[in-house]
Amino acid sequence: MSIKKVLQRLGFLLLVIWAASTITFFIPRLSSRNPIRERFAELARTGGFSPADLEIIIAAYSAKFGIDRPLLEQYASYMGSIARFDLGISLHKYPKTVWELIMEALPWTIGLLLVTTILSFVIGNLLGAVAAWPRSPGWLRAFATPFVLLQGVPPVLLGVLLLFFIGFRLKLLPLGGAYSIGRVPQWDWPSFLDLLKHQILPAVSLIFGSMGAWVLSMRGMGVTIQGEDYVNFAEHKGLSGYTIFKDYYLRNALLPQVTGFALALGTVFTSAIVAEQIFSLPGVGSVLNDAIRANDFMVIYGIVLFITITVASLMVLVELIYPLLDPRIRH
Amino acid sequence: MARFKSLTLFMITALVLAACGGAPAAPANPQAGQASQSAAANTAANESPEASAAAEGDASASASPEPQPISAGPLKDVPRDRTLVLGWGITSPIGVTNPWAIPGYTHQEGNAFMWEPLSYFGIFSDKEIPWLAESMEYTKDDFTALQIKLREGAAWSDGTPVTSKDVVFTFQGQMNNEKLPYHAQFEQFVKDVKAVDEQTIDVTFKMPAPRFKFEVLTLKFDTGIPIVPAHALEKQEDVNAYAGGVEIPHSGPYNLVSWDKNQKIFDLRPDWWAVKAGVMEQPAAERIIVVNIAGQSMDTVAQRIVNNEMDSALDMRSAVIGNIISQNPKVTTHTGNEAPYGYLDWWPNSLWVNTQIEPYNQVPVRRAISLAVDRDKIDEIIYEGANISTIYPFPLYPGLQEFVDKPEVQALVEKYQPSKHDIEESARLMQEAGFTKNGDDLWEKDGQTVNATISGFEGIHSDIVPVLVEMLRQAGFDAAIDFSPSAYQNMAEGNPGLYMFGHGASLKDPYAALELYHSRHSASVGTTAGNNRFSRYANPEYDKLLDAMAPLSEDDPTFQENAVKALEIYWRDQIDIPVIQWLHRIPYNQTYWTNWPTQENVALGTNGAFWAHTGLLVVTNLKPAQ
Amino acid sequence: MATIAFPQPEVRQPSRATLVLRYLRRNKSLSVGLLILLFLVAFTVIGLLTINPKEAYPLAVRAKQPPSVTYPFGTDFFGRNLYAAMVIGMWQTALIGVLAGGLGTLIGVVLGFTSAYFGGILDATVKGICQILTPIPIFLIQVVIAGSIDRRSVTIYTMALIVVLLAWMGPTLVIRSQVLSMKERQFVSVAKLSGVGDMGIIFGEILPNLLPFIAASFVTQVFVSVYASFYLAVVGLGPLREPLLGNIIWGAQLQGAFFNGWWWWPITPAVAMVLILGSLALVNMGLDELANPRVRRSE
Repeated sequence: MSIKKVLQRLGFLLLVIWAASTITFFIPRLSSRNPIRERFAELARTGGFSPADLEIIIAAYSAKFGIDRPLLEQYASYMGSIARFDLGISLHKYPKTVWELIMEALPWTIGLLLVTTILSFVIGNLLGAVAAWPRSPGWLRAFATPFVLLQGVPPVLLGVLLLFFIGFRLKLLPLGGAYSIGRVPQWDWPSFLDLLKHQILPAVSLIFGSMGAWVLSMRGMGVTIQGEDYVNFAEHKGLSGYTIFKDYYLRNALLPQVTGFALALGTVFTSAIVAEQIFSLPGVGSVLNDAIRANDFMVIYGIVLFITITVASLMVLVELIYPLLDPRIRH
Repeated sequence: MARFKSLTLFMITALVLAACGGAPAAPANPQAGQASQSAAANTAANESPEASAAAEGDASASASPEPQPISAGPLKDVPRDRTLVLGWGITSPIGVTNPWAIPGYTHQEGNAFMWEPLSYFGIFSDKEIPWLAESMEYTKDDFTALQIKLREGAAWSDGTPVTSKDVVFTFQGQMNNEKLPYHAQFEQFVKDVKAVDEQTIDVTFKMPAPRFKFEVLTLKFDTGIPIVPAHALEKQEDVNAYAGGVEIPHSGPYNLVSWDKNQKIFDLRPDWWAVKAGVMEQPAAERIIVVNIAGQSMDTVAQRIVNNEMDSALDMRSAVIGNIISQNPKVTTHTGNEAPYGYLDWWPNSLWVNTQIEPYNQVPVRRAISLAVDRDKIDEIIYEGANISTIYPFPLYPGLQEFVDKPEVQALVEKYQPSKHDIEESARLMQEAGFTKNGDDLWEKDGQTVNATISGFEGIHSDIVPVLVEMLRQAGFDAAIDFSPSAYQNMAEGNPGLYMFGHGASLKDPYAALELYHSRHSASVGTTAGNNRFSRYANPEYDKLLDAMAPLSEDDPTFQENAVKALEIYWRDQIDIPVIQWLHRIPYNQTYWTNWPTQENVALGTNGAFWAHTGLLVVTNLKPAQ
Repeated sequence: MATIAFPQPEVRQPSRATLVLRYLRRNKSLSVGLLILLFLVAFTVIGLLTINPKEAYPLAVRAKQPPSVTYPFGTDFFGRNLYAAMVIGMWQTALIGVLAGGLGTLIGVVLGFTSAYFGGILDATVKGICQILTPIPIFLIQVVIAGSIDRRSVTIYTMALIVVLLAWMGPTLVIRSQVLSMKERQFVSVAKLSGVGDMGIIFGEILPNLLPFIAASFVTQVFVSVYASFYLAVVGLGPLREPLLGNIIWGAQLQGAFFNGWWWWPITPAVAMVLILGSLALVNMGLDELANPRVRRSE
């Protein structure tokens, strides 16, 4: 792998970050909405400001956040702060910074997303591989079809239905939240069990909501690979079915899926936003939800940017280490 | 960072286990788990370094709220039956408890349990409830001077007594600091504030201020100011940037002990001045947990009340609260088990319009919109027959009921028929105003339909607004729903469209509500109109009536006479389109707590709004069920 | 003289329809998917002919009625007949799907073809832009856009536009790679040698061979569009008055439908959505097999 290649990919990464930050910068500003005014309006609804005060305060804070300056000037200073990894200050949760808000929420989201994505990747790919493998028993192969339908069930629906039947009707699991009311989580066993209980339903809905895609793409991949010469050769060599399945078939079919995994980490954020809302979990998704509701665009584009950078970096990383996994590809 | 890593690790392990076969032997009931938790001993690791850093009294402007959840240290064990659990949407930044932290502070979300006023007001008993002040009296007949006498023994949580110095500091802050919410009123009315002695304060006004004591100095609903501690705030370089956190001295009975994204926990302190002074008994609720229900579906909140996980929460649609009561007989409401399950709020809702822009500047158009609204049908389908729709811009509390019962007012109702529903008359008015029906069956003039997009709020208007939209549409108005966050901006800036919003104004007499239409609020379009003042109505005849009322007390005959005349103009010109009275339907779960304020149990006369300024009186008067 | 009756040779070529039917029997996901789709289309068409469209909007019928003979799917809190709402909602969903899916595929075909066929800087630019946009979380951007525009201008058509705005990169990349591989095939070289022009090759030679791919990518786009518009509607960013399936679920959640026992209100649109998305996924998989002979072989 040459240095040139690495530099090229890093250049690509920078371009992605630039594109994402530009898009996120301009879209909210195309609308006539004024988030500062909205924030104070909300306060005024409960606090009893008089209109004179409101105009003074709004002007003061508009200057502070720079939204009274020309658009291009704002853009330049925004890009400058991005380069310094400064995502700005939240308008709605002032004086918190966007970075603080993300960091506060990230552990919850990473925990939920990473585990569910890995699990759905593993289970989905195994099921898909088995479904495509000609020597699998018939019932196992038929097993894949329901997953096509499952792909048609948006996680939001799955979440709502699970919550309704298991939470409301059967009362087996909590109705939401990250832990029980009144508990301040600590490093101890009861906290741990409590947390666990609250994560089951969201995890299940996320796993099932995203597994279908893995089953299907793995099945497609597996079918393709069966035609490859090396699998035929292995069969003719008389290797055991298990060995062929594991070493020749699964391994090769899995490789392209790894690239998909990096991309999927980006798309699962979407599911997380919805899941965190349905199950009232703290996390980046719920921070984003609040921000969207409040038109707190500093937070919105901070998070969009954060997700984009994460996904793009993962993609580049996978691309760079891919030759190590697949000896057939040499840069 | 260490905390971040450990939390992440914790979550991952938890999820792996969760995915592999569910929770092993988790306690079946969260309360049991909570009660058995003797974790207080080993929580040293949980102490937030940020909290202690802030506790050093950092006076710089950068004393921002802590990025991490804050806590005052290990929590003690409090059994469920001594814990009050309230559901509320917490949106303010974690750690903001200083009433002068702007923007960011709200008295809602439990902060009202920390702060106290000179006086409260009990709306249902129509009585003042003196608090930090023993008395507040106007000392001149023209309402230009006020004397405040403080109670002996009132003290801050750090032991410092509450003195006239604190009151003067609070008032002068409002006068000089333009970021504070009552700056405009203080600047308009107050000439000077002087401490006479430790307990006595003299306030002099620039002009007659007969309602200043009630509107500004008395806490009720969501208005008025609490007294803040001078000795803590004068140390701050920028009082608006100081969050307050767990350490700010306060006079209320509860200390904030923990606050994260999911909940705020308050613990009772043993040394509340009001107990020592004999004003109150020691409150029974040793802990109050305000659970963050922001973003939770109404289903979930309702079910958690049925499950006894929560004792109260805001605010239920009519059908939901009926179902809560039928599923859990221990739950009751302001009106017991009978509809309408709630109490009258001071926020009757109208469809407001900007009376300065086309086509809403024409009285017949406004009247045509009102004629399109079928108020009986609203009662029937949304409120299950309860009589909620209204024709008044104020709530019919005792004083106001008396006012509208006057024969003069009833004659006006007869004359103007503000509740009339008549699509044909509506159509006639529109035709006379020069509108014709277009291909979509919508009124049109010069190629423009009537923009009847209703701006409102998803959480509270999701039942009524779709119904109104349909009624207007059937009468030919181009109606749509706008629940986006820009809804309030539309109202404040006077953008085209209709605004669903309340009149939080009158409580005892009609002045405050009628004053909303004074032309001093008719700022030009595009600038902010104040809360509740979206009409931008301007009429010298009307102003004259109101100006004559301003310096008079409400039992003056001229005051009453002018009020009737002003109300006539309100209906004659259809300044806005009154739709419904506003009810707060709050479930009270009596499994653990009784003595909630209800119709039957008026007590101090507060309403059950635990989030309002009078919430402190609600929670401190609760009695344990066992 | 004995007449010898020769048996007629049985090797008659089966008709086209029989072939299609035979293929469909082999390609189960395609046939099941098409069957469900057909059912949904029939439901919508018959429905559109029989219902009173006014009943799909509030205040039309008695509110909160459970499913019955009069109201097969019940009525909601606002007095919509859910049967009428389903018919109209299904039609609107199809409209968004076909519009956004069609537009996305069209952009993909045009961009994919031109960039792959002419190559050079054009190709590098198109490919670069697609790759740069791919890691950006599209849904979030859609939410931001939908939240930023004036509520009055949110209609079925603007929904379709919002969805398509950032959803053309997928088909572009797919078509581009297919054209690239097709370009190197022999028949294209032959056509080139015999003097067929660029347009002639694109429309005469390459396009017909790519039709299955284009169809598959169209179905994918419809799926993506329906999915995205459903999400936007569920979070309350759709045209709120319309009986779009996502809107109805949004309304049901806000009124606490499950808690109040009005289960039919959210369940009906949920089932409809699952059927729509599920059938599209099945058809998509079936078309994959059609387009990709290797996958076909295993069936």
